[in-house]
Amino acid sequence: MKRQILLALTALTCGFALLCPTLRAEEALEPVNVGTPTKIEVFPAAFKLQGPRRKMQLVVTGIYADGQVQDLTRAAQFASSDAAIVSVDNTVAHPHKDGNAEITITVGGQTTKSTVEVSAQATPQAVSFEYDMLAALSKQGCNAGACHGSPSGKGGFRLSLRAFDSTVDKLTLIREDLGRRTNVLSPDESLLLAKPLMKVPHGGGMKLKKGDAAYTVMRDWIAQGCKQDADGSPKCVKIEVYPPTGRLLKRPAHTQQICVLAHFADGTIRDVTELACYSSSDTEIADVNVGGLVVGHNRGEAAIVVRYMEFIESCFLTFVKDIPNYAWTNPPSNNYIDDLVHAKLKQLQYLPSGTCSDEEFLRRVHADVIGILPTVEETQKFLADAAPDKRAKLINSLLDRPEYAKFWALKWGDLLKMTSTQIGGEGVYKYHRWLQHSFETNMPYDQFARELLGAQGSTLENAAANFYRTATDTNDAVESISQVFLGSRLQCAKCHNHPFERWTQDNYYGMAAFFTRVQRKKSLRPDEFFIYSAKAGEVTQPRTGKQMKPWLPLKGDVDPPADADRRNTFTGWLTQKENPFFGKIEANRIWSHLFGRGIVEPNDDFRESNPPANAALLDALSKDFAEHGFDRKHVMRTILNSRTYQADFRPNDFNKDDVKYCSHYQPRLMSAEQLLDAICAVTALPEQFAGLPAGTKATQIPAPDLVKHEFLKIFGQPERQTVCQCERTTDSNLGMAIQFFNGPLIYNKLRDQNNRFRKLLAANKPDNEIITELYLSAVCRKPTEKELQASLSHIAAKGDKIIALEDICWAILNTNEFLFQH
Amino acid sequence: MRRHLTLLVLAFLASEASAQVSFKKDIAPVLLNNCLACHGPKKAEGAYRIDTYERAIAPGESATAAFLAKMVDGSEGFRRLTSGDVKERMPLDGDPLPAETIALIKKWIEEGAAFDGPDPKAPLASYIPPPTHPAAPPAYAATMPITAVTFANDGTQLYVGGYHEVTVWNPVDGALIRRIANVGQRTFALALSPDGTLLAVGCGTPGRLGEVRIFNAATGELQKVLGTTSDVVFDCAFSPQGDKIAVAAADGSIRVFQVADGKDVLNITSHSDWVFAIAWNADASKLASASRDKTAKVFDAKTGELLITYSGHQQAVRGVLFHPDNAEVYSSGSDNKIHRWKIADAAKTSELAFGGEVYKLTSAGEFFLTSSAEQKVRQFKAKEQAAVREYPGAKDWVLSAAFNLPTKRIAGGTFDGEVKVWNADDGKDVVTILAAPGLKK
Repeated sequence: MKRQILLALTALTCGFALLCPTLRAEEALEPVNVGTPTKIEVFPAAFKLQGPRRKMQLVVTGIYADGQVQDLTRAAQFASSDAAIVSVDNTVAHPHKDGNAEITITVGGQTTKSTVEVSAQATPQAVSFEYDMLAALSKQGCNAGACHGSPSGKGGFRLSLRAFDSTVDKLTLIREDLGRRTNVLSPDESLLLAKPLMKVPHGGGMKLKKGDAAYTVMRDWIAQGCKQDADGSPKCVKIEVYPPTGRLLKRPAHTQQICVLAHFADGTIRDVTELACYSSSDTEIADVNVGGLVVGHNRGEAAIVVRYMEFIESCFLTFVKDIPNYAWTNPPSNNYIDDLVHAKLKQLQYLPSGTCSDEEFLRRVHADVIGILPTVEETQKFLADAAPDKRAKLINSLLDRPEYAKFWALKWGDLLKMTSTQIGGEGVYKYHRWLQHSFETNMPYDQFARELLGAQGSTLENAAANFYRTATDTNDAVESISQVFLGSRLQCAKCHNHPFERWTQDNYYGMAAFFTRVQRKKSLRPDEFFIYSAKAGEVTQPRTGKQMKPWLPLKGDVDPPADADRRNTFTGWLTQKENPFFGKIEANRIWSHLFGRGIVEPNDDFRESNPPANAALLDALSKDFAEHGFDRKHVMRTILNSRTYQADFRPNDFNKDDVKYCSHYQPRLMSAEQLLDAICAVTALPEQFAGLPAGTKATQIPAPDLVKHEFLKIFGQPERQTVCQCERTTDSNLGMAIQFFNGPLIYNKLRDQNNRFRKLLAANKPDNEIITELYLSAVCRKPTEKELQASLSHIAAKGDKIIALEDICWAILNTNEFLFQH
Repeated sequence: MRRHLTLLVLAFLASEASAQVSFKKDIAPVLLNNCLACHGPKKAEGAYRIDTYERAIAPGESATAAFLAKMVDGSEGFRRLTSGDVKERMPLDGDPLPAETIALIKKWIEEGAAFDGPDPKAPLASYIPPPTHPAAPPAYAATMPITAVTFANDGTQLYVGGYHEVTVWNPVDGALIRRIANVGQRTFALALSPDGTLLAVGCGTPGRLGEVRIFNAATGELQKVLGTTSDVVFDCAFSPQGDKIAVAAADGSIRVFQVADGKDVLNITSHSDWVFAIAWNADASKLASASRDKTAKVFDAKTGELLITYSGHQQAVRGVLFHPDNAEVYSSGSDNKIHRWKIADAAKTSELAFGGEVYKLTSAGEFFLTSSAEQKVRQFKAKEQAAVREYPGAKDWVLSAAFNLPTKRIAGGTFDGEVKVWNADDGKDVVTILAAPGLKK
């Protein structure tokens, strides 16, 4: 018994801690296993090199009889038809003299050609300040947030974060401090080079080597006289990344050279592969080096995010390999969710676990849908039911229970920052009631969003208007709305272009233009504000000083009717069926509540560099959601009925290292409120929360600051200071272990004269019945014979029955099986 | 620098192969130029520093000392300089030191790794022999920002900071008279001694070296090198009596030297960032300074005691001078203003707004001049704080200014490499000099 307890405690404190990623040493590349391609292709098949500074990264792809593809760039031979015009060095084409030429590529017995037009070689080509120099500084990380890109710079040298403000950078690099940083007469002596080369002490250490592409750019820019770009120089309009996103590489194929082309307004195209910045969304799956060569390590998917100036594109790559002795077993599907999960598992060669037992399902679905465990009677009834569709029936009945609305109001209460401190006691009750009502009536999610974001009038009459009290100003509103409804953490863009996403500072203030007219006026009644939209009011972008037009993602500037509430234009766009963010974010959020992990995780952080674990599944779910009138219960019902949701948590040999593709159910610690309610249920001793109606469960408290409860705080109940899902901590800690080991809550409940086992004892129930009831109440199953015998012998050994029962109940509460949703 | 050193070494090997290797002359410069970036006060990789002799010979994290007398094999420093393993060999990620240099270090160790400098605890930079600077380019390929200008006392010559040189021009017809060589890479200050015989050049290489070079103003012959430090010297000023010179540098220090013997008489380290400008009051009892740490300060010029700190600019302070009544100071800065404030309590008494950063303030008799990013020089009466005249026509920021009272000429040096000379009587142009000899425009 003691060992069991100890194990439980260990699991609690460190069982689900994240493993630190191990550092991968600079491994030598495996040679390409060329095999016998049926065809090879080269990208680009035709290109121009306009000027002596231009070059072109060539990428060669082999296509095989079985439909697989492989990057053969590293293995290919390149031959120029006229080496005086163009030559290929290390897979990159370099121009020499004006003219046309062909590059013949040979590998694996196949041949293809790329045609090249070389021009403007006779005249020197200027290094572009913006597109070479600033790109080079970004590439080396000089202007990163932790270095000279920080708001105050470093060592008196300040650059704009990732070169978002070229005007400031121009001044800083060329002119600041008497031109100290550059030396046109002797470029190599420039401080700008000497520091990162560590020829001169540099707080940031060595950040540049003479072999780096950025070094050549920086040196040449200085040697050319530190010139800014001529007025009217063509601007970059987009970047193009090859290969197209979605390529699947099956071992031995596991590396991929990337080519990045920048397209300019005048139609010219240039290769910026060596100046673009690369990162991998999952370095366990694949790494990418500074030259854009991706190396896959494990099976799975990784988004390679490519950034060049303010342009961001991602290239999604799937890596698979044959697993020895693996065979797909054709597990049945309950619905499209299983189809799509299975497709992904099959592709990556994972095998799903079987389905969970009725006992596990019963407990799991209760905790997920209504937040509380089933009663002993409910459990016995369900286990005794022989109907084949009893799981589906249970799902329907749970979705119709009042506790459903209360429990999901708790989840959304977190997102909407419902606290009495912020909106007053009366305010928070009314706001919470509105939220609960929306779940009770299964209010379509689009209507929910419109009522919330478009709310006006008295916050006591129309409680949804409290949204604009918890979002205290325009910026707060923009950031909250974008995080909750668009799944984007926009805060960064308030001061500068978002460093990792498409969001620019202009976008932030363009969105703000929808909400800047919202007014908050206090009335004479306590807790009452009037929320209304003023007739005028504009937003000024602080950096450019420009007045911003209302702006919508993927749509651009819009002109709302002059006298209308601009918010309606926003919600009208937001809640369209076709909106690519709206339904997807909520469908993913529902998924994450049911599985403990979103298809996109964190569930409010959608971005290029954080791709979904199963994009097809998320697309199908959000489509289903939109087509069913944004019916949240429909989505939940569909998920709950899937085999995927009902999967066993026990892994098999072919899925034990999977955590994100749903091959088996991932157990997780129950939330603070769920745990407290569960302890109350097992001991049959409800908590009394001062000021709240008797019978209110922890999962039904309108706001955390209405009830101060130490146990809830320790187990991660959020204070609701932010709209971030992350505020509810899920990491286990020592405080939690201590609570269960000898905390006052458990102790008092175990010693209470009216607890479940004391009452049963008083009613003269036999020991085995008491023990069975404890198991049923805590883990929805009867004890095994071994558990029953161990308990009975503990009672016999202890002598004092009541103390022995306290021990047994305490031990059950300390099992993983009780603590974890499983 | 390194090439210079190699030449020096080669010369040494050729002629004096038997002479003892000097730490001060031969070894310290090698350490400074190749090792300081990673093994200095700012960054001490492997807990090893070379910025003083004492530290340079001691062990870092290794068990063995870096340099041991007569024990080439036991010297960890020598082993790391000559290791065949690129992951161990110093300078890390750089080219190995030339064989001649290695041979010199070996010989030094064999001879006892002895110290021949003034103080084993003193920074190497403070006593290595002044370098002979590379020659200026015969013809400039580009302009340099004109960060320093000054007139000869009689007004017949105009000294202008160049690239590794000071160029001397005729301020009337703009002809190049001569070029003073062996100057630091960039010159940030030019000062003539009150008697006009000495030209002090505050110069340096950004991030590497700073010094004041004192030349015979008439012959261009180098007399002394003072105040050598690790980053550039931004300003230097002779005391009104001409017996002392104050030096302000990017290492944050203010130092005062006796002109006659070069003796260091004061070292003030009150500023926490670059010191851009330094000024004496009329009786040489006080010094005022301007710094990138956003303050201007006044010190007792005898003791170095800090008398007052003025923080009103809230931006880098770039220029400073005493009001003639001796109770107030003018300071200029990146807040695009000149502030006038009391030495007694740092209370601001007035301010003057400019259309751009205001650089140094140049004192001349009853007047002072401003150089600023508004592309002109402005002249004020110092006592009355009254605007006298503006000198427009520059096409870029004016970074430096000078006034010759006898000839009533004013000069301004610009970011784009021009020196404009105006007539102070009417503000009219005298001549515009492109101060980049041989540059084809």
